[in-house]
Amino acid sequence: MPEIQFTLNGERRTVNIEANDILLDVLRDKLGIKSPKCGCDRGDCGACAVLLNGKSVRSCLIFAIEVNEQEITTLEGISKNELSPLQQAFINNNSFQCGYCAPGIIITATELLNKNPHPTREEVKENLSGNLCRCTGYIPIIEAVLEASKRGKNE
Amino acid sequence: MNKLKYVGHPVTRIDSLEKVTGSAQFVDDIDFGPNLLYAEIIESTFAHAIIKNIETSSAERVPDVVKVFTGKDFPYKFGLYMKDRFIFAQDRVRFIGEQVAAVVARNPKAAKIAAKLVKVEYEPLPEVLDQMEALKEDSILIHPDLGDYPHVPWFFPKANTNVAHWRKTRRGNIEKGFEEADVILEDTYTVPRYSHCAIETHVAVGKFDYSGRLTVWASSQSPNVQRNLFSEALSPLGLSHKDIRVITPHVGGGFGGKAGVTMEIMVAAIATKLKGNSVKIRWTREQEFYNTYQRLGVIAKITLGAKKDGTITALDHKLYWDAGAYVEYGANVVNAVGLSATGPYRIANISIDSACVYTNLPPGGPYRGFGYSEFLFGLESHIDRVAKKLGIEPVLFRRINAIKEGDTLAYGAKMNANGLLQAIEKVSKEIKWYEGKIESEDPVKVIGKGFSIFWKAPAMPPNASSSAFLKFNEDASINILVSGMDIGQGYLTVMAQIAAEILSIPPSRIRVERPDTDRNPYEWQTVASHVTWSCGNAVKKAALDAREQIYDLIERTHYLDRDTIYLEDEKVKSRTKPDFELALKDFVINGIQVEDGTFKGGPITGRGTFMPEFTSTDADPETSQGGHPNVHYTVGAAAVILQIDKETGKMKVLKVVEAVDAGKAINPDLVKGQVTGGLMQGLATVLYEDMRFDNKGKMLNPNFTDYKIPTSMDIPDEIVPIIIEVPQPDGPFGARGIGEHTMLPAAPMIANAIEDALGIRIKSMPITAEKVALAILKKGEK
Amino acid sequence: MPVIQGFEYFKPKTLNEALHLLSNNRGQASILAGGTDIVVQFKEDLITSKALIDIKGITELSKIEIKEDKLFIGACVTFTDLIESELIKNKFPIIWEASKTVGSVGIRNRATMVGNICSAVPSADSAPALLVYEALVILKNKDGERLVPISDWFIAPKKTGIQKDEIVVGILIHIPKKKYACCYEKLSRYEGEDLAQAGIGILAFEDHYYRIAFCAVGPIPTRAPKLEQFLNGKKITSPIIEEAKKILLEEITPITDIRSSRKYRIHMVKLMFERGLKKVISRLEGGKDA
Ligand code: FES
Ligand code: FES
Repeated sequence: MPEIQFTLNGERRTVNIEANDILLDVLRDKLGIKSPKCGCDRGDCGACAVLLNGKSVRSCLIFAIEVNEQEITTLEGISKNELSPLQQAFINNNSFQCGYCAPGIIITATELLNKNPHPTREEVKENLSGNLCRCTGYIPIIEAVLEASKRGKNE
Repeated sequence: MNKLKYVGHPVTRIDSLEKVTGSAQFVDDIDFGPNLLYAEIIESTFAHAIIKNIETSSAERVPDVVKVFTGKDFPYKFGLYMKDRFIFAQDRVRFIGEQVAAVVARNPKAAKIAAKLVKVEYEPLPEVLDQMEALKEDSILIHPDLGDYPHVPWFFPKANTNVAHWRKTRRGNIEKGFEEADVILEDTYTVPRYSHCAIETHVAVGKFDYSGRLTVWASSQSPNVQRNLFSEALSPLGLSHKDIRVITPHVGGGFGGKAGVTMEIMVAAIATKLKGNSVKIRWTREQEFYNTYQRLGVIAKITLGAKKDGTITALDHKLYWDAGAYVEYGANVVNAVGLSATGPYRIANISIDSACVYTNLPPGGPYRGFGYSEFLFGLESHIDRVAKKLGIEPVLFRRINAIKEGDTLAYGAKMNANGLLQAIEKVSKEIKWYEGKIESEDPVKVIGKGFSIFWKAPAMPPNASSSAFLKFNEDASINILVSGMDIGQGYLTVMAQIAAEILSIPPSRIRVERPDTDRNPYEWQTVASHVTWSCGNAVKKAALDAREQIYDLIERTHYLDRDTIYLEDEKVKSRTKPDFELALKDFVINGIQVEDGTFKGGPITGRGTFMPEFTSTDADPETSQGGHPNVHYTVGAAAVILQIDKETGKMKVLKVVEAVDAGKAINPDLVKGQVTGGLMQGLATVLYEDMRFDNKGKMLNPNFTDYKIPTSMDIPDEIVPIIIEVPQPDGPFGARGIGEHTMLPAAPMIANAIEDALGIRIKSMPITAEKVALAILKKGEK
Repeated sequence: MPVIQGFEYFKPKTLNEALHLLSNNRGQASILAGGTDIVVQFKEDLITSKALIDIKGITELSKIEIKEDKLFIGACVTFTDLIESELIKNKFPIIWEASKTVGSVGIRNRATMVGNICSAVPSADSAPALLVYEALVILKNKDGERLVPISDWFIAPKKTGIQKDEIVVGILIHIPKKKYACCYEKLSRYEGEDLAQAGIGILAFEDHYYRIAFCAVGPIPTRAPKLEQFLNGKKITSPIIEEAKKILLEEITPITDIRSSRKYRIHMVKLMFERGLKKVISRLEGGKDA
């Protein structure tokens, strides 16, 4: 079994895997990182989004072995300290119902705000368009991202 | 009543921190340790066939495979309202995707490898994929033993046909009604099947320990129904209710799809044969599409008569449902519509036929709206058209006939208090209904307006009930135990608000525990938009019960008359003695010390149950008269401004307004959240989603690549939610449910807006850009 | 959904190393770049490769650069890289436009343009853009390099001109010498992430020469030679557009599938052609989008 090492939420982690193991499964089943969710397993829903070297990617479409020596951030990493302005804005706006999509959406929006701290409504919509949410109708999510963008850094 | 402090306020959700930090635990997030087994399901590749043989030996030889199960291992039937399903297919399969066997292995890879080696030999039978075909006398029978299936007394299956249930409602004199009419319009509307698409798929884990206790962790709306059906189906193994425990952690969306029992029965059954291990099944997105419930398709034939003055005189509504291969739950959708397909109108002469027809497609079942979205598409389209024929403005036509409190319902009982007229008025005003046509600045585009009203009653057995336990902790924080499910709607927060109001403890200091059948008291199910009303009543009673105990104790220890004391800011206070004040935290567990140094009282715990005691399904099967099947209806109205590109057919919702009568919005923000989310789900069914099957019954688009649910770029420009509050007399603080209702008006109002804009009436769903563009082309050719 | 196909994973640092791995694993190896298509294929058991060669470690393949009068897009360049490149945005606007219609951020952060043309689905969004630029696909094997014009690249649905021992290193585009404008029009079922139901790329030179290409309206993405021939040398007027729409029908063979009917595809391609052409002409004249 190959061994990989990478930085996970700021911590160096080592894990034994098989070459055909999927990153999402390794995070969840071997590393106890449960915030990335499986919603479709083929890249359509965004529930499994994580940051890979700062960019949001779908962990269901990546072999774990590919992230050897890379850096992964999940919602667990973002939540280590106090709530980010984005998380707080999610609460203020009732931006989730069942909450299953929330980790993926917060990851995607965090990337957006890091790149573009003051996005327009259209930019927010376009950036979130790969994250499906069946419950909220998206409007409260868009509102939350816009509210957070008024408050500065989201990490 | 005093001014309310928590009820009616936009209290922050009590599950918010868990959800924004990724801490909320869903079934698949729970660790089950190294004894966890994985089951992979072998599915039918035929829509209708006899199983000749199942060859499992090569699969059994794969390393790490523990066992392979087939129908022979579990020759048991189950079902909620009618026992027509099997844990695994027995001698025949009835839809593509039906579970035939399961491979259980120590790891998911081994299970998948081995599952490919199971060989099933079939003898194909002709398949019936269309309900009208299945209704024909010479149709092949999907359930030859239908006559022997146990079912609830309010179903009427016809043995030796494919009709699983036929609900007839008759009132007044339909012939006379049509004779009185000046205008009669008859037409047919078609609604296809839809999928719930909760982003979390079904997941269940079962564990049977060495002492013979079965625990099932399930992503479910119905823990108690699950326990009940597991115990029924597995009773040959000697399992009673007390031996079974169902735990439901956070659920990633339900929409009806996770009500009742579907795939969970497999883990329950398999676990009993693998003592000491846990067994997990996680549905893939594909399986979620084709082997859970789907929304039933329907063909509805409507004949409606009305007089020149606008009075509707008669409605003949015939609905033929494509209910799929098993209808243990879906038949009740058909039943509910058979009782309510008048829509929210006062009609003297009524004939409704709602027929539940077996087909060789996946099982139909509950879906947010429970049949009402489906029949309202036809009915509310038809209402617009009849109004036009009469030369009456369509909203006025609705107002003339809108049902009022005390009017007689189709089944003879009386309509409850409701704010339908208020809703119509507020929506027309907000959408500027009477201010004429909006001209598009872009010559390629046109703009239309559409209106629809709606109603829905919870569809429940007459004795569906809820209960609650409430316990104080030392610091006067509270844990409430209930068995309703927060599937996202915010139910836990609403329960906390109700208890908070009675006991003066802020909701942020109240935990409401998710269901665990060992610990929490009974709830029928989280369906039918009934938990705010029903479980809300139970929680309110539990809180009142606790308050009575507090008052008793104060009366006993402080000699204050209970009529003069009250709770405020977590303290007992007195109206007559302004300086008396006793913090709840000082006595709710440890009691109150009296003069002689002894303590009185003890832990305060409340208990509440609620069951409507006026409902009955005992009625004449030919007319449905005589019973009182529904508890009450929730009503509302909605309107849309729709922009259409005349060339591409692409549509954009510029504005949508929806008013819903919540009785009392316990949490207005959560009600608004339901409006936004529900409307979007409704708009999706009309504008985008489309379930496709080939001519062998195979679903062609079981994925989000081709079954398109809306994204953040497909939302209306503006959504205006309006809350109407005409109290429900038997609701907690006057509340009634609104969760499903928010999606009901979406489809017909879009169809009506299209006609308004283009003069084209589309009578089948979905109404995609493609359909609109081709209809425009066709009109141009004429 | 686990992947059950077992394979050995390699992450070479140089192209040579990769080519050797490929030749050592004769026909049994797959190339991995963004993985957004291939991982799904692995999950669906459509791939039986025994070796997976991840080329993301080869730095030269991540380059977007101008060499002499040519643009080079490396095999590991993602759609996000293209969208974020000022060079692409300013000098190759149709590539930029088409890239923005691919998937969504989470996909574009990973998916590559070369991967898109290697998957070679009929709906490949990159194809019309590359076709109108007359791009060249750069292929290498152990023995050398060859260039394949993009118009010869697509052979059948999901089938390209690549040989088993070859790796696509990148794409080469000659910078057009004459002034031009272009656009990509895509038909999708909704505004969010969707596969093209039909796509059309249009490039117009100021001297009234035109290049037009389609995707998703035939088995493979193609140029439209008859249509171009008809338009070449002509100024665009309404009668010309009407005439052109008729010729256009000879160039496409759309089918009915679950995503769209043939009829609607035909209707839309005509419309997108007309709207796209007007847009391009307006851009050429320095005006705003029509
Ligand atoms: S689970 Fe990865 S995108 Fe849906
Ligand atoms: S909150 Fe349920 S899917 Fe987004």
